Amino acid sequence: MKPDRWLDCRVLVTVGTGGVGKTTIAAVLGLEAARAGKRALVMTIDPARRLADALGTGPLDHEAREVPRERLQALGVPDGGALAALMLDTKRTFDELVERLAPTPEVRERIFANPIYRNLSDALAGSREYSATEKLLQVIGNGRYDLVVLDTPPAAHALDFLDAPRRLSGFLDGQFLKLLLHPAAVVGRASLRLFRSGSEFVLRALERVTGLEFLTAISEFLLAFEELLAGFGERAREVARLLRDPSCGFVLVAGPDLSQAKRAESFWERLQSEGIHLVGLVLNRVHPWPVAGDPPAEDPAAAERAQRWLAAALAAADPGLDAGNAAAALVSAARAQAALARRDAAVRERLERALPLEGDAFRAVPLFADDVHAIEGLARIAREIFGAPRGP
Amino acid sequence: MKETLASLLSRRLLLVTGKGGTGKTRIAAALGVLAARRGVRTVVVELGDSDVLPELLPPSRGQRAAERGREPQPVALNLFTLRLVPEEALLEYLELQLRVRTLARAIVGNAGFHRFLDAAPGWRELLTLGKLWHLASLEDSAGAPRWPLVVVDAPATGHGLSLLSVPSVVLDTVRMGPLRRNTDRVQALMTDAARTLVLPVTLPEELPVNETLELRARVRELGVGLGPVLANGIEPALGLDQPERALAALERVPRGQAPSPLAEPDVVGAAARHRLARAAMQRGFLAVLARRLDEAPVELPWLAGGVDDPPGVQALADALGGALA
Repeated sequence: MKPDRWLDCRVLVTVGTGGVGKTTIAAVLGLEAARAGKRALVMTIDPARRLADALGTGPLDHEAREVPRERLQALGVPDGGALAALMLDTKRTFDELVERLAPTPEVRERIFANPIYRNLSDALAGSREYSATEKLLQVIGNGRYDLVVLDTPPAAHALDFLDAPRRLSGFLDGQFLKLLLHPAAVVGRASLRLFRSGSEFVLRALERVTGLEFLTAISEFLLAFEELLAGFGERAREVARLLRDPSCGFVLVAGPDLSQAKRAESFWERLQSEGIHLVGLVLNRVHPWPVAGDPPAEDPAAAERAQRWLAAALAAADPGLDAGNAAAALVSAARAQAALARRDAAVRERLERALPLEGDAFRAVPLFADDVHAIEGLARIAREIFGAPRGP
Repeated sequence: MKETLASLLSRRLLLVTGKGGTGKTRIAAALGVLAARRGVRTVVVELGDSDVLPELLPPSRGQRAAERGREPQPVALNLFTLRLVPEEALLEYLELQLRVRTLARAIVGNAGFHRFLDAAPGWRELLTLGKLWHLASLEDSAGAPRWPLVVVDAPATGHGLSLLSVPSVVLDTVRMGPLRRNTDRVQALMTDAARTLVLPVTLPEELPVNETLELRARVRELGVGLGPVLANGIEPALGLDQPERALAALERVPRGQAPSPLAEPDVVGAAARHRLARAAMQRGFLAVLARRLDEAPVELPWLAGGVDDPPGVQALADALGGALA
């Protein structure tokens, strides 16, 4: 899909491993949508302060912050277009969920007071990922945005969040859990006898390993959550539907080295098997070759000839210059650049072969010499992905 | 106190962490190589999700899949690797505690227990630390440590901090019983800076630097010792003595006459300006780090050949040894 068409989605999700520039690309997508006259929201997990500064939103937090009008105008955003950003906060999302779903104030307080909830709601398997999708449902539900861009957490398995809803709704099932959910069953061996099957056995053995107290704390935690679980499961199914809807597109972001390319390929397979719509791939931080044509192959003899010629040419241009030093340094810089450009091109070709994307769904963004979190940097990347800016 | 290579290698547990993409895994592998070269019997541990160590430090003999995850695999003299999978550590822990293998297997094989584990918080982190503690505590028949040094390719910042914070959560919740005793021991190891250090890896760029500073603050709050910050990927200096004058002279060199694109003024000019700008940015963030850390970070060079195979790791180990000397 052509990059302009990416913006027709209602939700765009940027995925990729840590350190490839997902957050920046997510901000660029939001900015470009605003320039196309849409109301866009970027949800990030990264506390990138300069990104917030560049957008002029002030420090990002859990509530959406609008980019000021005058800043948008300077970037060529028309009157109908708007851009907001928020930073995901797992704990806050969970707290909100508990507040909304808890049937009584007592249940709510019991959950908030539980030490495992207080300390580990962040570490609850997949909770970061789950809270991202939960917040996504919230903002989509309020209808304020034409496009929501979700920057996913940089987990080792960056696609864990596809599993998160399923895992958490898996809470609901299982005899083992039911045993744990009723502390009496854990506390009294007599009541344990009420339960047949392997689960009782398992629980008793575990008790020997962990001690009663821990099992009790966990079971209290789960018990407190039990009352929320019905609502939880429904939300999880909604998220799962949303992520697979044709109006939700995933943009894969990868860096140009081989190990990242391999990971991008396995993401792609995973996305496909999950029924996810991949709309494009951004290969970020590619080393550019500064002139038209391919970078030359490595050839020490040619490099030596180049250096001799350049030394003579520089000496002619500026007799006072240490032309030998300058030619050696300049040619070695060009040689290093050529090597990197060749490597990146090979990675790109490999990915183009591996991922059956139409040619224009594949976008390479060069590595800029300076860090690109300032607004001009975002505009520069937008030009690389979307081409020349639309009219003012 | 300024850490040296020797003082780092005298620790029992080194946890290498940092933002994704900074090169944690490669640095953990290189640290292992360095330690082994110095005669310290070392195991480099990679955690469940990741599986790249075999490419960087291939095992010296064909390893059987069944062995992986429990016994460290030999790589070279004094050097071993282990892929620590929490599920496997759980089985091992249950076996050790219950002393009955079939019972442990029955528990782990229970489908309901599986669904519970899938969602339950914290146990992966706890067992990961438990297994690391176990590795560091094993002794040979003479009473000497079996693994004098355990180097861990720890998860990236956020998950890495979850890992470090789990023992204190358990200690808050559990006051007695075997879990309490075991967690007490784990926490004693983690919070003893004479034995355990966190080594943050960063790149001289804005986001990794910010994340490193936040990571250090949080690690300190958790009472875990911090080693020097390793600033990775420092690009080599261009070696251009008079950059402005050389670039100005380049403007007067005729276009289209060079014998190779490598001497074409537009090519060399763009390549040189790119390198100079990158170097200026990197220096800027190294200065930020030095100011905020009260000491210069350990600088590790960007390696042109990449660090994707054993020779690359050896080269990185050379660089790391030089930088820490």
